[in-house]
Amino acid sequence: MHIPDGFLDAKTWIATTVIGAGAVSYSLRKSRLSLEPNKIPMVALIGAFVFAAQMINFPIAGATSGHFLGGAMTSILFGPWIGTIVMAAVLLVQAIVFQDGGITVLGANILCTGFIGSFTGYGIYMLGIRMFKGRGRAILTFIASWISIVAAASGVAALLALSGTFELATAMKAMVGWHMLIGIGEGVITMLVTGYLMERSTILARGGQTAYEGVPNNRA
Amino acid sequence: MKAFRITAHRTKWMVMAVITVATAALLSPWASSRPDGLERVAEDHGFLHQATAWNKLAPLPGYELTGMKWTAVSAGVAGLIGIAAMAIVLWGLTGFLTRSGGGRNGQSASGGD
Repeated sequence: MHIPDGFLDAKTWIATTVIGAGAVSYSLRKSRLSLEPNKIPMVALIGAFVFAAQMINFPIAGATSGHFLGGAMTSILFGPWIGTIVMAAVLLVQAIVFQDGGITVLGANILCTGFIGSFTGYGIYMLGIRMFKGRGRAILTFIASWISIVAAASGVAALLALSGTFELATAMKAMVGWHMLIGIGEGVITMLVTGYLMERSTILARGGQTAYEGVPNNRA
Repeated sequence: MKAFRITAHRTKWMVMAVITVATAALLSPWASSRPDGLERVAEDHGFLHQATAWNKLAPLPGYELTGMKWTAVSAGVAGLIGIAAMAIVLWGLTGFLTRSGGGRNGQSASGGD
């Protein structure tokens, strides 16, 4: 759901550019404090994976197609600040190199699919993990990433309505309707990847390095 | 609370790298060309024509190599260029972030290297 140039009016794209830039610079500051050097290759690889997976549009109901976004996945793996950074980087490369998603609306795209997607997915995932004490992680991941897509689609719909492109209720119904289906793909991919790449941490079970490594991951 | 963390198993990350390269190079030509969710909505509600592209300098617009006759190869190569660009951008950025103050691991912000 990359917004192209021309869909948002001037006030909306200027406002979202400013807010988007703020969100990215704040995320950069937050990431700087929480990022361990040994995570660098992992973040780079996951960013590349998100890009590759976003290329694969899967057909839906013979009428449309959807693709993976990855905000929820990246945030569950690395926390929502790094998640936002990775998504912003993906959108930047797509807009500059591949003309996918507009330049004026880069801020809007970063806010919707990056920031909203990352924080919604992560928030719901963490809430669920706390509530169910770590049980049912796969299904939680599916639900959290499904909701993250619906939330991102609602964000896009709200911006379209704000631009006067079309009315809010119609925009919501149309965007959320299709993305409820597209979100299923998001849920499945996020569930598979995080299931494969995450493991139980043995916090404080052994001393030294393990305990240290457990701390930021427990939080993130 | 049971906590989860990201794995440090080298093999798993190697598998992830292989999946990423295979997706970008081999799976991308098979992607559906139907309009995506937002394009569908834009078409149904009559504002798809408003879409423009400010970035005329994009080297690979639409994930295609200009002048490449085989579209499958074109999409695959575009995918490979994309994942390489992503890895370079993020490696550089996160490397810079940890060097410029990744405080927790030794506070080598200004005098470290």
